Amino acid sequence: MHIVVLLIGLCAGILVGLLGIGGGVVLVPALVHLLHMDQHMAQGTSLFVLLPPIGLGALLEYRKKGAVDFQAGIYCAVGMLLGGYLGGRIAVPMSSRLLTQLFGGFLMLSALLLWGKASKQSPPQPGVSTRDGA
Amino acid sequence: MKKSIGFLFAGLAGGVASGLFGIGGGIVLIPIFGLLLAFEQHKAQGTSLVALIPPTGLLAVLAYAKAGYVHWLTGVLLIPGLFLGGILGAKIARRIEPRRMRQVFAALLFLLGAWQAFGTWRR
Repeated sequence: MHIVVLLIGLCAGILVGLLGIGGGVVLVPALVHLLHMDQHMAQGTSLFVLLPPIGLGALLEYRKKGAVDFQAGIYCAVGMLLGGYLGGRIAVPMSSRLLTQLFGGFLMLSALLLWGKASKQSPPQPGVSTRDGA
Repeated sequence: MKKSIGFLFAGLAGGVASGLFGIGGGIVLIPIFGLLLAFEQHKAQGTSLVALIPPTGLLAVLAYAKAGYVHWLTGVLLIPGLFLGGILGAKIARRIEPRRMRQVFAALLFLLGAWQAFGTWRR
């Protein structure tokens, strides 16, 4: 059982580094479907896991590539502290089922928006390392 | 100055999603950086990681914990894997070209969203 949890952590971690996210989007579905937690319990546990700076190692990798705007990140962190409290207050009284569906819908919507943008984008700029040629 | 206010609001939006869905908030920040503030995908992802370093979810965790919605032991066990996996994932990301990176990001989000949304129908 504990091994499974450790492995879920590792898989979620790979996505943290790959996508630059906190990992909650992976953790929450994994906790709900693999460990059979209720949606609220999964979300609360995920938030707790994200308190330590788990993305620090990943951040240092991005910094080597120069792909970090520290000022923007710090401003965002301030807003997130407040927003996180508001979101928590909204979610706790909601029904678990509604919350799960809202979460899934929200993820799919963000995905579609991003995909649209990625497909419209002009071809990669020169100077960016790419294997399939710029 | 105007830009800083934009970042603060991006953070606020990310925070609401973070507390509401129990996530880090990066999936909100990255589209905002990329689509509204015109950051290149890797920079959006790297900057999102900066915003996730401080314990920004602290107030949200307290709200959940008060209602008994935190499984502490599972949480502690998840942390080491996340940290190590994070480094590995970032090494992979550095090899991916920016446009492809955004498509990978979007595709994975969609799959995770579908898993969540449709998973509830079986129960």
